[in-house]
Amino acid sequence: MSTAESISLLSPDLLAKLERLELVSRKVFRGRMKGERRSKRKGQSVEFADFRNYVAGDDLRLIDWNLYARLDQLFLKLFQEEEDLHVYALIDTSESMNFGDPTKLHVAKQMAAALGYIGLCRADRVSVQAMGAEGRRAPVLRGRSGLWKMLDYLDSIKEGDNTSLYESVKDFSLRNSGTGVVVLITDLMDKGGYEAALRMLVGRRMDVYIMHVLSPEEIDPPIRGDRKLIDCEDGDETEITVNAYVLERYKQTLQNFLSSIKAFCSRRSIAYLPVRTDQPVDDVMTKYLRQRGVVR
Amino acid sequence: MSWISSLVPWQWALFSAVPIGIILLYFLKLRRESVEIPSTYLWARTVEDLHVNSLFQRIRQNLLLFLQLLTVLLAAIALWQPGVRGQASSQGRLVFLLDASASMMATDIEGEENRFEQARKMIRERIDAMEDRETAMLIKFSDRAEVMQSFTSDRGRLRDALNRTQLTNRPTDIVGALQAADGLANPKRSSTSGDVNDIQVADPKPADLLIFSDGGFEDVRDFNVGNLVPQYIAIGSDTPRNVGITAFSADRNVEKPGDAQAFGTIINFGAETESFNVSLYVNGEWRESESLTLEPEEESGLTFSLAGQEDAAAIELRLESSAPGAARDEPLKDDLSIDNFAYAGLRPMRTVSVLLITSGNRPLDLALNTESAAKVCVVEEQDIDFIGTPEYEARLEAGLDDLIIFDRCKPETMPPTNTFFIAELPSDEWSWSSEPGQTILVDIDRTHPLMQYLDLFSILIFEGRSVNGPPGTRELIVGDAGTVLALAPRDGYQDLVLAFEIISEGEDGSAQSNTNWFADRSWPVFLLNVLRHLAGAADASAAPTFMPGDTVRLRVESQLGEVEISRGSGSPDIVRTGASGSVEFVDSDMPGSYRVVAKEKLVDLFSINLFGIRESRIKPRETFELGYETVETAGTIETRREFWRWVLILSLILLAIEWWFYNKRIA
Repeated sequence: MSTAESISLLSPDLLAKLERLELVSRKVFRGRMKGERRSKRKGQSVEFADFRNYVAGDDLRLIDWNLYARLDQLFLKLFQEEEDLHVYALIDTSESMNFGDPTKLHVAKQMAAALGYIGLCRADRVSVQAMGAEGRRAPVLRGRSGLWKMLDYLDSIKEGDNTSLYESVKDFSLRNSGTGVVVLITDLMDKGGYEAALRMLVGRRMDVYIMHVLSPEEIDPPIRGDRKLIDCEDGDETEITVNAYVLERYKQTLQNFLSSIKAFCSRRSIAYLPVRTDQPVDDVMTKYLRQRGVVR
Repeated sequence: MSWISSLVPWQWALFSAVPIGIILLYFLKLRRESVEIPSTYLWARTVEDLHVNSLFQRIRQNLLLFLQLLTVLLAAIALWQPGVRGQASSQGRLVFLLDASASMMATDIEGEENRFEQARKMIRERIDAMEDRETAMLIKFSDRAEVMQSFTSDRGRLRDALNRTQLTNRPTDIVGALQAADGLANPKRSSTSGDVNDIQVADPKPADLLIFSDGGFEDVRDFNVGNLVPQYIAIGSDTPRNVGITAFSADRNVEKPGDAQAFGTIINFGAETESFNVSLYVNGEWRESESLTLEPEEESGLTFSLAGQEDAAAIELRLESSAPGAARDEPLKDDLSIDNFAYAGLRPMRTVSVLLITSGNRPLDLALNTESAAKVCVVEEQDIDFIGTPEYEARLEAGLDDLIIFDRCKPETMPPTNTFFIAELPSDEWSWSSEPGQTILVDIDRTHPLMQYLDLFSILIFEGRSVNGPPGTRELIVGDAGTVLALAPRDGYQDLVLAFEIISEGEDGSAQSNTNWFADRSWPVFLLNVLRHLAGAADASAAPTFMPGDTVRLRVESQLGEVEISRGSGSPDIVRTGASGSVEFVDSDMPGSYRVVAKEKLVDLFSINLFGIRESRIKPRETFELGYETVETAGTIETRREFWRWVLILSLILLAIEWWFYNKRIA
């Protein structure tokens, strides 16, 4: 690992800003350990949750004696439990992510690191993973001290795992049975389609965020004339004569693609966040994601 | 629709390689630059969208190819010169008669240089419209006919022949051209038509005779059109403007040979009144101008006096513009300019030399020594015995005499000069056609210069005969028994024969009068005419004038081996002199004053002028007589309407569309 690369992922300024942020989970999940998040579990926080009838064997310390005096019945006073949150950041490492300046993969790593650091600061259970085989060795981290491990892991991720989105998500779901927040950082350029993968995540009651990373070259391609386009993932070739008309058609197709994703996500309560690689990561984390209610 | 190929087969073969090349280029895969992109996912979908209407898309893909092939196809069609011609009843054989005479220089055709070019254009269009089964020949005519191309169906050769034709300054004579056409359309039989064993030389073949002319020629009456179907295409506008000089001559005053006079006749042939100046130039220097206004068809004669003109002079008459603001020497601008200039020459003064050989003829002596005759001639009289002497031979050899008068005698061989025989036949070519007897004069040809001013009907002839001359003999006086006075040409000379004696010899040897002519006033006048026109005294002052294209025959001193003949300041032609000093000059197409110079000394002068009322009257004739037929103008001939220009324009438009489309594709 090189420190320079780590620092390039997250600047000290950004780290300071990130420490003040918190990931917003639109769902309440059960945690695994005591944490700072409100849990579905009743526990020992200061926040009142409910009453219930006393049954034999309950802790007598939880009986609400004031109520007993008034009603002559035994009720237990229940409090909210505060537990940790599972935060997963899944990074698409396919060849297509290696495009743009900076590359989409680099931007994806920055996003993942930033989100992971926010989670670590909030004592969440953070797992930043590359999709595909690389994800299996991803560490599960908790606490601020896990930052360096996370960055080490991110640095070790190399592009070139062209496993399909669906396969990767399936592999991830099998490995991680728990629920939590999943941030999928990808360009969604999968010829097999993205729908099945997202459906699987939603089906596992995950709170799903999609960060759709697109480079400016994909939004407005600088290609003109007679060209043979080669897909870097599968080597697929498309011969095309690019003129104004075809470019217009391409942009139209891109817009249709984005709208269909957006529609798909909104129907399934998936937060869809398109991100351009030419946007500074500071702005994305501290302004764009706050505006969209991802962090606060 | 008919087609005319512009290319020869090997050129077509080369041309056909062009579309093949274009198609081959399309078969070759376009060399596309490879670009690696994150995913072809969206591109593939874009292309799929474009393929929604696949037929249209395929056409879009190959539209450039289609456009290019279509452009080449249209270019090929244009090269085939498609055209449409109306229905024409053609005999299958065409004879084009192209008038190349001076009147065809008239510039009254809009859009063309002159009538000749218009006629050539019309012939070219008719050649283009020829069908394969048609053959044609081209005859150009002016004062003579020239077959430019005999019958052929090769349009290229006809066009080449047409391009070779040139306009001339000559007058028009259509007869030769008609005879040339006639010889091919109406071949003569080899012998008699009743003979069954006789084989005709050739089958008579009908032909269209297309006469492209302005009709400036004489009606042809003794011509049988036979199988020819004449069609006259009149060339020229109906209201041309032309003022022309129809006659111009200069002559010395007989009384005062140092003075000369120039006479010109000018006619307005146009339909409007014309005003202009007539200027006289002597040796290129302006001498005098006169302003003239002529109504349509009005004729005017002008006389200019030239005092103290003793030397030879080239005299020129010009019609000049009198329009306000015009320069003094600005030529008059009408439709035919060649007749706005006329030339004449004044020879240096000289006297003619006459040798009279007689055994005694007092009336002749008296007439040759009158005061008027003495001014123009020097007479030397010799006896009949003089013929055959060495002195006589030497005289002939030196060519000293302009005229020899043989009175009742004849030489062994004809002398190389003009002769006048009285009561004797010059040679075997001549014969008596009647026995001697009293002769009564019947007719006199007063149009001949020798006969001018003569009134002969009161004279008596006691004993005379009549003569028959060689071919070309002109009868000047005809008596009751035949020709009494005849003039015949002989190798450039002329022989005059009088068929009766003036003084006859009686039985006792005494002289007796055979006629009372010498007592008549006309006798000295006749001899003066002989001196002036046969001996050349008149020629001696006024230089002869010839028509363009004529062969100019002159006599110079026989000692001169060669002479230089030049017009204006042009380079001279060197002409060798023939026997006894005759000079023949054929390069006489250009009007002008010509000088004949030998050993840097002016020997003679002559002029070439287009004095032809027919050439100057440039309004095209509506009809003319041809044999027994009246040929009317056909107006226009049927021409071919060609479309190749439109096809070519369409091809260029397609090329532009192709370029626009290509740019749009790669933009």
